[in-house]
Amino acid sequence: MADPLEMLDIASDDPEAVRDCYAERGWGDGLPLVAPTPERVDAMLATCNADPDEPVAVLPPRSGVATRRVIAVNAVLAGCRPEHLPVLVAAVRALARPEINLRGVNATTHPVAPLLIVHGEIAQTAGYNPGLGAFGPGNVANAATGRALRLILLHVAGAVPGAGDASTQGGPAKYTYCVAENLAESPWGGYAASVGVAAVSAVTVHCGEAPHNFHDMESKDPAAILDKAASAMTSLGSNNAPVSSGEFFVMLCPEHAAACDDAGWTRDRVASYLHERAQMRVGDLRAAFALRAWAPWQEALDDDAMMSVTEHPCNIKIIVVGGPGKHSSVIPSWGMTRSATVPVEV
Amino acid sequence: MRIYAPVGAVGPAAISRAVTEPTLAGKRIGILDNSKPNAGLLLQRLAEGLAVRTGATVGLVERKNAALPAPDDLLARLAEAEVVLTGSAD
Repeated sequence: MADPLEMLDIASDDPEAVRDCYAERGWGDGLPLVAPTPERVDAMLATCNADPDEPVAVLPPRSGVATRRVIAVNAVLAGCRPEHLPVLVAAVRALARPEINLRGVNATTHPVAPLLIVHGEIAQTAGYNPGLGAFGPGNVANAATGRALRLILLHVAGAVPGAGDASTQGGPAKYTYCVAENLAESPWGGYAASVGVAAVSAVTVHCGEAPHNFHDMESKDPAAILDKAASAMTSLGSNNAPVSSGEFFVMLCPEHAAACDDAGWTRDRVASYLHERAQMRVGDLRAAFALRAWAPWQEALDDDAMMSVTEHPCNIKIIVVGGPGKHSSVIPSWGMTRSATVPVEV
Repeated sequence: MRIYAPVGAVGPAAISRAVTEPTLAGKRIGILDNSKPNAGLLLQRLAEGLAVRTGATVGLVERKNAALPAPDDLLARLAEAEVVLTGSAD
């Protein structure tokens, strides 16, 4: 069992008072906070069947112990409801997976933020928005769960700008970054099952940039739509350029996904096509980056050779998100990290 | 009224610090270059300056990616040096 949590005396439970009390101690995200009173935290934990003081994960760089109670405190602060807690617990488990490389994600000068993607039944039962405006704003579950995850990174992991987060410019995705998969309009079934997590509900954490939009209003041909995605992927400005093992998350809107499916394209074919089309000239990449994390065979290529911006089609992840309209997005990776998908235990 | 602090406990340190060497005469200085720009050059010059002043020798130069933890085999090789210089940011 972890040590009991510290308690603070405060004159008022006004959100502004909690924010100011916390800010004096270097805590909070700058916005008003819901007071984490014992009553509210107990209510957050009421449906939790596991030991609330059992460590779920230890998060770097602070080596903070994330118990369900600590997670619940941060959930209350962010405005979560109790039905969001299992998603947060799963997200913390995912963050602690070694392939995420959370120490690097938190400490880098890059503006990387963990994107939390909610899959399956809990996206519906707990009120997450997979449809119109899924990346926000407006939905309580998406907004509050993403914010709670950032508060856990600030408070438990110690990813405080200047102390545990060296991000040169920071970024808006570091306030809240949570979305649900649009399973109902995915022609290829759920993403989690496609990567071997056959759970009723699951979450994926991908540590990347904010979404880069691409639109196609006119095409029925998947190639024409996806060429625009490939264009967004081939940028010297993203870390995928110097890091060849980095992933891309390509968030297709339902209409773009339907166009691919109507033409008989599977999720894997979409990824393979993007892998073939998202290429850059090796000499241009070499000229731009003295420091590269490429495979040896890539270093051996001639300057005039063309090279995919990620080593393998498996690094290109296809998920259906959003509502009506023809806008999709590409989410480049920080690079030295891999996404993790884990089940949600309800 | 009372509210919770949001930070929780800090886990036990996995590694304790080594005892500082009382003198560097006759000792080996290792370098862990994290590949940041000029890190290797800076650390090499620091190590050479330290060696001249103390009677130590410079050896065991290793290089790693700044974004990832050092691999175990690299750390095992560096452990043969009594002192290791490392750490460089952008």
